[in-house]
Amino acid sequence: MSVMDNQLSRRRFLQATAAVGAAVGLGGITAACSAVGTQGGTFNWMTWSDHYIDTQLKAIEDSDKIIANITPLEGNAEGFAKLKEVKGQLDMMSADALWVRDAYNKEGLIEPFDIEALTVAKDLYPFARKFEIWTTPEGYLGYPIGWSPIMIYYDPAKVSGSPDSWEVLLDPQYKGRIVVEHQPEEIVAYMARAAGFDTPYSLSDDQLATVRDLLLKLKPNILKFAGQATDTVNSLVSGEAWLATGNIGNEDRVKDANGPEIKGYVPKEGTVAWQDSEMIVKGGANEKLIKPFWEKAEVAENIAANFNAYGRPLFNEKAYKLLVDAGQKDKADRYHYNDAEEILSKAVLKGPGTSIDKSIQLFNEVFGA
Amino acid sequence: MAPFAPAAFVLVGLFFVPLTVMLAYSFWTTDASLHVVPVWTLQNYEHFFQNATYVRTLLKTLLMGVAVTATCLVMAFAVAYFLARYISRRWARLALLIIIVPFWSSYLLRVYSWQAILGEKGVINDVLMGLGVLSEPSRLFIYNDIGTYIVLTYVYLPFAILVLYSALDRFDFTQLTAAQDLGARPDQAFRHVLVPQIRAGIITAAILVLIPILGEYLTPSIVGGASGLLIANLISNFFTNALFSEGAAIGFMIVALVTLLLIAFRRYLRVEDVYARG
Repeated sequence: MSVMDNQLSRRRFLQATAAVGAAVGLGGITAACSAVGTQGGTFNWMTWSDHYIDTQLKAIEDSDKIIANITPLEGNAEGFAKLKEVKGQLDMMSADALWVRDAYNKEGLIEPFDIEALTVAKDLYPFARKFEIWTTPEGYLGYPIGWSPIMIYYDPAKVSGSPDSWEVLLDPQYKGRIVVEHQPEEIVAYMARAAGFDTPYSLSDDQLATVRDLLLKLKPNILKFAGQATDTVNSLVSGEAWLATGNIGNEDRVKDANGPEIKGYVPKEGTVAWQDSEMIVKGGANEKLIKPFWEKAEVAENIAANFNAYGRPLFNEKAYKLLVDAGQKDKADRYHYNDAEEILSKAVLKGPGTSIDKSIQLFNEVFGA
Repeated sequence: MAPFAPAAFVLVGLFFVPLTVMLAYSFWTTDASLHVVPVWTLQNYEHFFQNATYVRTLLKTLLMGVAVTATCLVMAFAVAYFLARYISRRWARLALLIIIVPFWSSYLLRVYSWQAILGEKGVINDVLMGLGVLSEPSRLFIYNDIGTYIVLTYVYLPFAILVLYSALDRFDFTQLTAAQDLGARPDQAFRHVLVPQIRAGIITAAILVLIPILGEYLTPSIVGGASGLLIANLISNFFTNALFSEGAAIGFMIVALVTLLLIAFRRYLRVEDVYARG
């Protein structure tokens, strides 16, 4: 093969590569933007996996031609940072409690809306349409979805007495027997609550020093950091973990997986809680699809199914009635479905604090080598 | 220059530019609203060196990498030597295929499966208790540095085997016989005849194992427990909380370490070694 042939071949190769690249790129852009017609379209949604059920999304796609293009959401801070970068490339975003007001709305990233104008919102508990933290003169900031306090679960066959405090996590007799979810800022917040601090996401240096001592006591007791809730359940089922932190409903999840009877409680010092919502992203190219999507996705039947699928309370009152009618009152009540107002008022809601940097530094200092 | 344009575009656009952005981030700060503020400062690096935990964790990561690399090289050499010398090429290829079969499944799945092997109710404990070696399940094998070491060795061993087999497959084993005919002991023949000729393969295998381990995040987070975390886990804690400046600074400490290691390796890896044998 001559040098000329070689160059020609390379040029052709580059031309072909460029053509394929352009086609792939154009296809991706087209798919991402997708023309929004009056009959539907695709919107981009960054959310947690328990905010939807695939079959329900498919049903909405079939009936209304509204397609949700979902990007997994790892956590509040990460989602916030990503939205700041991509802005209108997303149309809908999920976030917790004070993150909605103090991060997303403060940065002007979301569009307030009139929740009372949504037909489906009438299925919500009245208080869920009036959360002070999500109410602004411009409108409501988030469509309420689910909630849970962080609880401590234990296997009564292995853990002595009836613990009611965070203190049990620091007891040396449970060395290597505790599983906590891998959320460093939350683990620091738990220990802040154990110390009696009411602002676990905005800690002073003195408070952080106290929390540091508690984290040092906690460290040898931790078996592992669970990547997801199922890891926690599996550890309790196998018996390698005797204690764990988690959301409402772990008793049933462990039992359903043929594990031991475990018990759960809200620590007497108080806990933290999450309360999540969907937000409309300001400037989202497909923003007009969001409310029609909510009208279909958030109906009580779907929320009741969501409760059964993911096992934590939600803010839809009509769904509770459906669960009662279906003979599931006992389960719904055990999950405190009806007690949101009371439980959330006693907990510290998740939010962006002023000490997140120092909290992560502290966590790393304690759990590094 | 034109022939290099595509490579230059890829290298500059997809490597140097993002790396430069992260380098800049590492000298900036993150404010309470999680904004990266472009104010030049050394504080992220100062914090790394002032806080013994980060230095210790980086050194621990390096130690883990060296231990796993050494283990992989020894095990891989034994396997590759056997395949190259004592097995026909057809069967050796089949064996190599079997070795790489696990790569067809997800990395995550493979690491998770080790929980079922090393855990309290895992296969190893079952066997040891069945043999009467243990009276109750041991918690020694998982959720600590030992667990991380075992699983990292498993994950990276095939890379080392493939590279070393490739090197040994081109080696003329009659040279070992000739060396011994000329009076060399087996170990002398090994050290002075075999090793120099497969040096490029050994170093390449070491690089392929050691460098990725310095950035390993998943394995320690799944089987390392609270005490088996490596430096990438600490970096991850910053990035998942949108503290990009702090994470970038520690990330660049790994980059610096990797660069130093590559320079050190390069002294022993002549480029012509790689090409000389086609």
